[in-house]
Amino acid sequence: MEHLGYLFAAYSIIFAVIFLYVLFIWRRQAALDAELRTLEARMAALNESSPAAGSSEPRTDI
Amino acid sequence: MNSAIRNGLGYTTLALMIAALFMVFDYVPPEAEQGIAQLIFYFHVPLAWVAFASFGIVAIAGIFYLWLGDQLWDDLGYAAAETGMVFCTLMIVAGSIWAKPIWGTWWTWDSRLTTTFILWLMYCGYLMLRASADDTPQVARFAAVLGIVAVLDVPIVIASVRLWRTIHPAVLVTKQGGHGLEDPRMVATLMVCLAAFTALWAWLLMLRFMQLRTRSRMGTLAVRIAFANAAASDSK
Amino acid sequence: MSGFAAVLRKDLRLELRSGESTLALLALSMLVLVVLVFALDSARLRSVDVAAGALWVAMVFAGMLGANRALLAERDNGAIRGLLLSPLDPGTLFAAKLAAALIFMAVAEVGAVILMVLFFNLEFDQSIARLAPILALGAIGFSALATLLSAITGRTRGGDMLLPILAVPIFVPALIAGVKASAAALGGAPLSSMGDWLRIMIAFDVLFVTAGYLLFELVVGED
Repeated sequence: MEHLGYLFAAYSIIFAVIFLYVLFIWRRQAALDAELRTLEARMAALNESSPAAGSSEPRTDI
Repeated sequence: MNSAIRNGLGYTTLALMIAALFMVFDYVPPEAEQGIAQLIFYFHVPLAWVAFASFGIVAIAGIFYLWLGDQLWDDLGYAAAETGMVFCTLMIVAGSIWAKPIWGTWWTWDSRLTTTFILWLMYCGYLMLRASADDTPQVARFAAVLGIVAVLDVPIVIASVRLWRTIHPAVLVTKQGGHGLEDPRMVATLMVCLAAFTALWAWLLMLRFMQLRTRSRMGTLAVRIAFANAAASDSK
Repeated sequence: MSGFAAVLRKDLRLELRSGESTLALLALSMLVLVVLVFALDSARLRSVDVAAGALWVAMVFAGMLGANRALLAERDNGAIRGLLLSPLDPGTLFAAKLAAALIFMAVAEVGAVILMVLFFNLEFDQSIARLAPILALGAIGFSALATLLSAITGRTRGGDMLLPILAVPIFVPALIAGVKASAAALGGAPLSSMGDWLRIMIAFDVLFVTAGYLLFELVVGED
């Protein structure tokens, strides 16, 4: 089968790039989650120190 | 509910992709003249459709953002631009790899390749604009305007490139797939691949879109917390 | 005096006093043509296709330089705020900026055409006269697009590279049509034979002048 190399190259690249994009999204998500935890901690600290100033629970459901 | 959509799309993509691969490698009959590299066509065409569709979404999201002002539309536009860029690049790469054994060259300025390349450049510009500035509402507005302006231009690009190539045809007579698919099995395979890539695109778009939504919401939240902190320390 | 005329007069007067933008545009046109003369195979220099192509390359680059400077004066001194606070509506402001950019580009074009005829061994005859409407259509479209986009790129960190990357792909249809029509004109063809190309350029111009007029208020502002 001639040109098999080309076929293999095309398909591998397609799936590799898609996989890399998913990976990119995954890592961004991890960073976002870390940031979210920080914010939640600050929120909690605020609610403890002055209950009157605290606002409602932040919506974290997406 | 968004998570349900996202997960649903993910599983649909998986199922359709498996079906598509099966059909391409096991079911569809080989094409008479082009040999096995012709199979790239079944991925190349869906990639093209998805790249153009994404571009349309960028523009529509831009219009809604300018009209309604909701950050949600800007997030959608940005996500669509990213995913569109990924698929547009893949389309060009796949097309190029297909071209080499079939036409003997990695690239040629025929009307479709040229138009796609222009589209790819427009994506580049859009993403560079977003990268060169912070995430402010002004930049969101700029991006929306750019997206609208670019998509309005696309029909003129297609017309002019087609006219250009009609008068000066590409050196190589290109075999454009998508017309003259004789065997109904080929058509069926193409349809399944189309569905599979549309699902994949929708899933990736949903993933990235939800991520950008979260980020936007967190930005608002951080501001509120900062204010609350300031207020709390003032009252002490 | 209408707002449009006021702004236009201001820009022109500023330029007449210093002349630095015009000089820069003419210099850039000339330099681009010189580079192309040396870069291209000398046997081809007699070809009208090459001459037309070189002309448009010079115009596009000069046009981008001109567009950047169209809003530069106001940006430097924060004078944009004054313009925005005035009763002048943004669409009219766009029209005035477009007119100024157009005039600068026309000056650059005249210079480029003269140099093209000299460098590429052409004649100052009727074919040059036929070039005029083609170049005018191209200048209108490019100025409209660049005025709108430079309002955006001037306010972001992208630097000077951002305007070309945004403008060039969008300008492609007018570029293709303009070069093809120009080459035909230089080859002696009458304007009636270029109907398709001219229609594309007119469509492009209408689209971007309108879009610029309507969208300018969304993108113009202080940094």
